[in-house]
Amino acid sequence: MGNTPAKESRPRASSYSSSNSGSYPGVDTQPNLGYSYNYGYGRSPGSPFNSYLGESRSRRNTTSSVFGHIVPSRKSKKSEEKDRLREEHYMNLIVKFDESVDGGYLAPYGTYKSNLDFDSEIVRGLIVARRLAPFYTPLQDFDESWSDQELLIIIKQLTLHSIEGAYSGEEEDDDIDNHKIHRSSNFYKRQEQKIKLKMLIEKIKELQKQQEDRYLEAKTSSSVVKSLPSNNLLLRLYRNPVECPICFVFYPDNLNLSRCCLQPICSECFVQIKRLDPHPPHDDPTNANTVKRTTEELPHTLISEPSNCPYCAMTDFGVIFDKNLDFSTGINGIPPHDFEQTNKSTPNVNDNDNESDEQAVMSSSPTSEQEPSIIPTKLRKRRESVPANSPRVITIDQIRPDWESKLLSARSKLARKAAAASAIHASNLIINPETEMAEYDTRRRRNTGSSTQSQQNSRLQTMEERMIEEALRLSIIDEEERKRKEEEKKRKDKSNRDRSFS
Amino acid sequence: MAALPRRIIKETERLISDPVPGITAYPDESNLRAFTVAMDGPDSSPYEHGVFDLELYLPDDYPMCPPKVRFLTRIYHPNIDKLGRICLDVLKDNWSPALQIRTILLSIQALLASPNPDDPLANDVAEDWKKDEAKAIGVAKEWTSKYAKSHTASGSAE
Repeated sequence: MGNTPAKESRPRASSYSSSNSGSYPGVDTQPNLGYSYNYGYGRSPGSPFNSYLGESRSRRNTTSSVFGHIVPSRKSKKSEEKDRLREEHYMNLIVKFDESVDGGYLAPYGTYKSNLDFDSEIVRGLIVARRLAPFYTPLQDFDESWSDQELLIIIKQLTLHSIEGAYSGEEEDDDIDNHKIHRSSNFYKRQEQKIKLKMLIEKIKELQKQQEDRYLEAKTSSSVVKSLPSNNLLLRLYRNPVECPICFVFYPDNLNLSRCCLQPICSECFVQIKRLDPHPPHDDPTNANTVKRTTEELPHTLISEPSNCPYCAMTDFGVIFDKNLDFSTGINGIPPHDFEQTNKSTPNVNDNDNESDEQAVMSSSPTSEQEPSIIPTKLRKRRESVPANSPRVITIDQIRPDWESKLLSARSKLARKAAAASAIHASNLIINPETEMAEYDTRRRRNTGSSTQSQQNSRLQTMEERMIEEALRLSIIDEEERKRKEEEKKRKDKSNRDRSFS
Repeated sequence: MAALPRRIIKETERLISDPVPGITAYPDESNLRAFTVAMDGPDSSPYEHGVFDLELYLPDDYPMCPPKVRFLTRIYHPNIDKLGRICLDVLKDNWSPALQIRTILLSIQALLASPNPDDPLANDVAEDWKKDEAKAIGVAKEWTSKYAKSHTASGSAE
C-alpha cells in the first residue's frame, strides 16, 4: 500500500489545478499568500497520510483554512466529535482489573475480534447497574476433577484480555475505489479514517498491555491489593462454571438469559448479536407483510429487522439478567479482596438453604445495604418468558441505538446511487439523441413484427422523451447549483480580499 | 494467522468423536477452518445410495455469521445450482449463532430429502420439477448414480 497513495495523488492534484484555473479566471490574478502556500502543501507530498501521521493537528487546521470556504467548519467539527467518540469507545474496550463488578469486568475479554461497535457507554452502565452480566474472564476448559488449588492456579494465570491480536479485522476489506482509475475524494477520507483507526487500535493495544502489566504486578506484589479478587471469590465464581452455548467457553454461573426461552448467553456473545446490515427485503413468504409495507414507501427500500433469538428464533431478541449471586463486589460492592464467605462451600444449593444463607451474608457484608439488587436469587427460579418491552429486558437495539441512523444512511446512499445511475443513463442518451434513436429504430425494425411496431415505437419514444426531459432537468439543476457555488465563492473571495486590503 | 477460537476447536473435536450418522466432516490440515464433508443421500430420496462431497468453510466471524457450504459433487436439485451453491435459509439470513456445523449439515441433508422448487436456485431444475416431478426425480436418480460415489463403497469404509 506504500506507493499507492503517491500514484493516486496525481489525478487529484491535476483536478485541483484545473478546477482552480477554471473558477478564478482573471478574477484574482494574485491569490493571497496563504492560499498559494496551502495549495502547494496539498499537492506536494506524495501521500496525504504521511503528512497526516506526524502532524494531525496542524494538518487539520490547514485543511480547514484551505477549504474553509467550501467545506463548512461545522463538518470538521462534526468529524472531530466523531473521532473523539470513537476514541472514547475504544478506551471503554480496555479491560481494567480495578473496574470490576461481581468478579467480572466492564469490557469484553476479546473472544470476538470484530463487531465491537456496540455502545460501550451504555453497556458499562448496564453492567454497573447489575442489569447485564459483567464480562467475566472465560475458562477455555474446565474439568470437575480439578482441585480448588489447581483451579486457582489456572484462573490466576489468565490475562485480562485475550492475548492474541485484539480488535483486528475491523473492516479490513477492500475499498471500492481500489479498482478505479480515478478515485473519489471520499476515498482519501476513508483512507485517512482507516489510518486513524489503525493508530487508535495500536494505542488501545498498548494501553491494554499496560493494564496487563499492572495486573501482573498487583498479583505478584507482597502488599494487599484491594481490587484483586480473593481466592474465595474466585472459587465461588469458578467452582461450578457453565458453558456458554454460543462461544463454548466456561463462565461463572451468573449469565444473562434469553427473555423468551431463558437460555444462558454470556455478555460477550450478547453484544455480538445485532441487526443484519441494511439489505433489500426478500420475497420470502414468511415476511410478505413487511415487504409489502416497505415497498409501498420506496421502490429501492432497504430493511434491517430486529434480530431473532439465537435459540428459539423468537423475534425481538433480548436478555434478562437476574443476578445469580447473593453478594456484590467491585463497583457498588465490597472490594473483591475482602470477599470471604467461607460458610458456603457449594454455591448452587437449593432454594431453601439459599434464603437463610443469604440473610447471613447480607448481615455480614457491611456495604450490602447500598446494593438493592440482592433479592433476585429467588426471581431467577421463576421460569417464564418476559415480553420484549418489559423494563427488565435488554434488547440488542438498546446497546446499538445507532441502528436506525445506519439504516437511514444506507438508504440515502442507495438513493444517491440510483439517482447518479439514472443521471448517467440519461446523459448518455442526451449525448447524441439522433443517432441513438436511429439505432433504436433499426434495431426495433429488425426485431419486431410490423403490426406491433408502431405501437412499441410510440411507447419507446415517449419513454425516451421522458428520460431526456429528466436528464435536462437534472443538468439544469446541476448547472444552477454550480453557478450558485461559484457566486458564493466569488463573494467570499471578494470579502477576503477586501479584508486583506483593509 | 490468528489462533482458532475455542468454539471451532470444540466443535471439531465433537464432530470427530461423535459424528453425525451419514455425515463425515474433517478439517483440512492446512486450514482448520476448512472442512471436507461427505454426506449420504437420505433414504427414500432420489439421492439415496449416493455419497456427496461438500466443502465447508468457517469465516472469521463464525459463529456470528454462517459457514459457507458448497456441494462439490454435481447434483440435480432445485435448490442447488450448477456451482454447488445451496439455497437454504439457515445458511443466510436465518442463521443463528446457536446453530453449529453439525446442525447445518443435518439441515442440508434434510433439504435433499425435501426439495423446495417454489424457492429455487437452479431455475431450470425447479421448472422441470414443477412440470413433471416423476421425471425430475428420475433425472436426480440418474445424476446420483452418475456423479455421486456409491454409498456401499464408502459405507464399508466407515
